[in-house]
Amino acid sequence: MAVQIPVPPMDIPADEYDSGGNPFDLSGRHALVTGATGPLGRALAVGLAEAGADVSLTTLGDDATEELAARSISAAVTALGRRSAVRRVDLTDPAAVAAAVAGIESDVAPLDILVNAQHGANIKSVLKASLADWQRELDRNATSVFVATQAVGKGMVERGYGRIITLVSILHDRGVPNAAIYGASQGAVLGFTKSLGLEWGRNGVTVNALGLGFYDDIPGIQSDEEIHAILEKYIPLRRLGKPEDLQGAVVYLSSELAAFVDSESFVIDGAIQVHA
Amino acid sequence: MVLEKFELKGKTAIITGAGTGLGRAMALAMADAGADIYGAARRLEPLEETKALVEAKGRRMEVGTTDVTDTAQVNAMAADAIAKFGRIDILVNNAGITDRGRGKTFPELDDEDWRVGIDVNLSSAFYCSRAVVPHFLENGGGNIINLTSGWGFRGGRNNFMYSVAKGGVIQLTKALAMTYARENIRCTCIAPGLIPKGIEENRRDQMNGFQPVGRVGWPREMGPLAVFLASDASAYMSGETVLLDGGAIAGGLLPAGYAPEAEG
Repeated sequence: MAVQIPVPPMDIPADEYDSGGNPFDLSGRHALVTGATGPLGRALAVGLAEAGADVSLTTLGDDATEELAARSISAAVTALGRRSAVRRVDLTDPAAVAAAVAGIESDVAPLDILVNAQHGANIKSVLKASLADWQRELDRNATSVFVATQAVGKGMVERGYGRIITLVSILHDRGVPNAAIYGASQGAVLGFTKSLGLEWGRNGVTVNALGLGFYDDIPGIQSDEEIHAILEKYIPLRRLGKPEDLQGAVVYLSSELAAFVDSESFVIDGAIQVHA
Repeated sequence: MVLEKFELKGKTAIITGAGTGLGRAMALAMADAGADIYGAARRLEPLEETKALVEAKGRRMEVGTTDVTDTAQVNAMAADAIAKFGRIDILVNNAGITDRGRGKTFPELDDEDWRVGIDVNLSSAFYCSRAVVPHFLENGGGNIINLTSGWGFRGGRNNFMYSVAKGGVIQLTKALAMTYARENIRCTCIAPGLIPKGIEENRRDQMNGFQPVGRVGWPREMGPLAVFLASDASAYMSGETVLLDGGAIAGGLLPAGYAPEAEG
């Protein structure tokens, strides 16, 4: 049987053309950045906070040094005058994540923005990979996105507002030898994003992706030194990305007036996707 | 600070089709971000209306009536904009028409329908980009934003020139991005979905159900995206086409709003 998703009532803006004021101001919004322990998490969290949002963070459940890193990022958020909560949680454990989200929302406020920044890359040939390698890669990069999105998205759907943004490597679409397992985990996340945006689109919750090319400080094929050197010349904009390059896009996609961008991926890659 | 990256202070943008609809919305948002505007269109009166709205925001706007399918007029537009502002930083290739050949079957389309449909929706972006790129090269960089459509990705029934031209615009974007990446010229593209203009005269209620997000878009939702792409907030983006379409192009496998009944 086919189900029809109800059409919500329509808000008519005061001016149909004028976006008015500063459309990128995120004051009063609360964002959660998952896996926010390195330079990537710092750039995303600080960018959202600079735009006015309160920003909370989660780190992996099994590493105390990562929790220290997350607390340092959280301190950078509070130094900007925003609120921030931190939880150490295994993103593949639905009950633990639900409890962490409840705690973060109780400490700060209901969440309006979720940035799935949990990310790793296992560069391994298929003939040498074990089933455990495959499962670990999917757990780290895809299961984590499912669990966090479900835990945070439930409240967003009920409240009728949300912005979910997931980091996805352009290996979801293009191939590199020895990156098949990593690429599969990225394809999983993009497929999840496309359908979920349509599932929640009429509840005021958008689900989008940031399509990453090759970045310094983000794991990927570029973590290999020689590949890094090749990419510096090969990428059309002649440099690898920096985590700060993602700040503008994450702020834009988190903004209220990005409501009509849904199930979409913004590729931010120094134009390598148009390389022949 | 991240919000400073979205600023366009001291920059000038040429926007074609700036008199109405999405062009007006982009002009207003870029003016809010601090840019001055050069608006080009066939008709002067709507341009003057946009100009008054931009000036009310404390920014400068100059206008020039231009047929963007005419190379001589396009070159004159670029020269006029450079003469009036001293420099151009941003070009938005927004002008286009959807209705050429409407009501005709495929065999009935004549060469002139085809030529005009391709000229207005694709060649215009080539003519305008060709007119400003030498100036961008002299200035050490620039930013081109093209406008395509969901029909640039999918098949429009009885919509030949528009579908073909808009597919071409996506490719023009990639080729420009690749060609000028080292000269600090970025080129990106926006694919708006159904974003009608005129609150009173359109039939939004009937159209809303055909959109995955349950509503059509507002022109005001176009402005911030154009500012993002025109500004340093998107400094590491080029060659990319982004959709502002309420999920339309992500879907399409079922009519919008329909879902298989879920288990449990």
